Amino acid sequence: MKKVTVFFLVIALCLMMSVGCKKKDDTSSGATNTPIDITHWYWADNPDYSAKMQQIVKDFNENNDQNIKVTAQEYPWDGGGYSETLFTAAMGGGGPDTAAWKLTSTPLFKANNLLANLDGYINDWTDKEDIEENLYNVMRNASGTDNIYVMPWNTQVLYVYYRPSMFKAVNIAVPTTYDEFLEACRKLTRDTDKNGKTDVYGFGMRGAKGGQEPWGSFIYGRGGDFTNFSTPQAIAGMQDFINLYKNGYVPPTAPTDGFNEIIANFKSGKTAMTIHHIGSSSGMVEALGEDVDAFPFPKGTSQWTSMGDTENVIFEACDNKDAAFEWVAYLATGKGQEEWCKTTGNVPVSKRVQAMPEFQNNKFMKVSIQGAPSAGIFPILDTTTEWINTIWPNTTAAALAGQKTAEQAMADLQKGLYGS
Amino acid sequence: MRNKKAGFWPYLLIMPALLVVMAVVFIPALNAVLMSFQSYDLRRPSEIGFIGADNYIKVMRDSLFWSSLWRTLLWVLFGVGFQFVFGFCLALLLNRPFRGRGLARSVSLIPWVTPGVLIGLMWRWIYDGSYGVLNDILLKLNLIDESIPFLARVSTVFPAVVVTIIWQGIPFFALMLLAGLQGVPGELYEAADIDGANVFQKFIQITVPSLQNTIYVTTLLRIIWVANSVDVIFNMTGGGPAYASQTLSVYIFNKANALNLGYSSAMSIILTILLLLVAIPYLKNLFRNQEN
Repeated sequence: MKKVTVFFLVIALCLMMSVGCKKKDDTSSGATNTPIDITHWYWADNPDYSAKMQQIVKDFNENNDQNIKVTAQEYPWDGGGYSETLFTAAMGGGGPDTAAWKLTSTPLFKANNLLANLDGYINDWTDKEDIEENLYNVMRNASGTDNIYVMPWNTQVLYVYYRPSMFKAVNIAVPTTYDEFLEACRKLTRDTDKNGKTDVYGFGMRGAKGGQEPWGSFIYGRGGDFTNFSTPQAIAGMQDFINLYKNGYVPPTAPTDGFNEIIANFKSGKTAMTIHHIGSSSGMVEALGEDVDAFPFPKGTSQWTSMGDTENVIFEACDNKDAAFEWVAYLATGKGQEEWCKTTGNVPVSKRVQAMPEFQNNKFMKVSIQGAPSAGIFPILDTTTEWINTIWPNTTAAALAGQKTAEQAMADLQKGLYGS
Repeated sequence: MRNKKAGFWPYLLIMPALLVVMAVVFIPALNAVLMSFQSYDLRRPSEIGFIGADNYIKVMRDSLFWSSLWRTLLWVLFGVGFQFVFGFCLALLLNRPFRGRGLARSVSLIPWVTPGVLIGLMWRWIYDGSYGVLNDILLKLNLIDESIPFLARVSTVFPAVVVTIIWQGIPFFALMLLAGLQGVPGELYEAADIDGANVFQKFIQITVPSLQNTIYVTTLLRIIWVANSVDVIFNMTGGGPAYASQTLSVYIFNKANALNLGYSSAMSIILTILLLLVAIPYLKNLFRNQEN
């Protein structure tokens, strides 16, 4: 009996060893032959950017030596609706492995434990020093912890696009102060065909979602800030914003004008100035040639412009985080960074790419860099997304329509963001 | 004994369907009711828990809820009302013999078969204050001096979205009433002709009573659908500007989008109760008419 037991034990041991060896063989063969699939979500502002992202993915898939196969799926930005779609998908278990990102979404996703902690990956990363330490700190602050959950990708500093020919027509120079900017809005509003109706508006105001970014410059222009919207300075900034609409210096469609409308109006000559970042510069040049230039939003009592940020994240549910990090690292400092920033004109986060001549000799890049010292982001709270998507556009529209005074509107905005 | 067996089998046979209905209708509905009594805000997952009737109390104190509810009432009243009137006219027209009637019947269905999202986007461009075709036509006809930003003005945005929903719903009424009209016996009209009835009298005395049940069912369905409709308004205006086109269903959707699921569930339950208050007497009346 004892012999039989020992016999079976030996057989079992042999079987276990052979299974173990086989398994090891399988794993090693899988690393080389079986592709590691990574699904990536992103948005693109125009078809050229879509094509570029797909090209970057193709290059990465062909050239990485770890057999990583990225599939990039495009979703519309939709004034921030992208983040909501991403959240719904991630909560429902159908989210991607990695995704393009905006910092404002970090608290929500972090609170629901959806994001992977990148500290370990970044500390071991050879390209870590290629990105300014300050950017990592911004990423840490956004999560409200000492950890990094967001991989830097590129930034965009908002500035003012203008039509030099229109400035020449009304004989004004580029504004250097906030008051001069307001005055320029007035002077550039014209009835060019003398039919008694305005056909060129001084400023292309964005009243729909996303309009809070240029609006913030007006608040700071009068000395207000985002810690308290109810100060006299912040209210005065809001009043300037309202006056532009009330006095007819912006198109009457301004309360609902979003990205597409302000860009279309500027390109068609309906507006003489508008605020956006370098991402739209190639389209502007294509449409207007030399008749488009830019300047940083001028300083008033204070100065602020929005730093648009775009990052990438890895989801906690991703099965192959090492491979996912290879991919987001490629976008941050590799060829992906170079290609994407060259096409979109966005400000690179990689110091190596920033130093390239293409970026050093670009006039829009120069204005972005001039505006960088006063560039900042909105307070990142768990209320920020709703505030941006619903509360700001509707409250501002009510103020523009005369349903609320500047003071009432600012009180509502304060309540919407901070609760009181 | 045989009767007992027969009594058991029908229940067993409908059991699978009942289970499916339970899974896809009752459980989510029950979940919504439970959620409405919870602080269920995904932005603050640590605070999720039962809070009694707090959500309902907050809803009652929310001025946006009341303005959205009032707008829902107008939305249904004007939306369904005009859909019915124009749909009835179209059905009467399509019931008459004329060349190309088949084609006209098919074409008239286009608004109904077009997805709501597409309708929203399409009408957003039609109304566009800078490049919209409606402004272009009105300007060329010298009816206006300058473009009207229909969707950017608080005073015009709601009528604009109501017109869109009317346009979308006309074919539904036309189709259903046309089917009803074809079932009205021709002899009734012949008898009325012999009695000397005019067109209006025939319409009131024969057509309308014959279509009564169809009218009841179609209007009830449309009231429920239009009250719950989100796609058209959301894609045209998102409920803005200044919440001027926000109906209750759009408000619910926006709140759910902002991840405050407890609050949006409470509003959904209230909307459901309000619709039941309309639907139950409506159905009772319908059944009473059928019995008579």
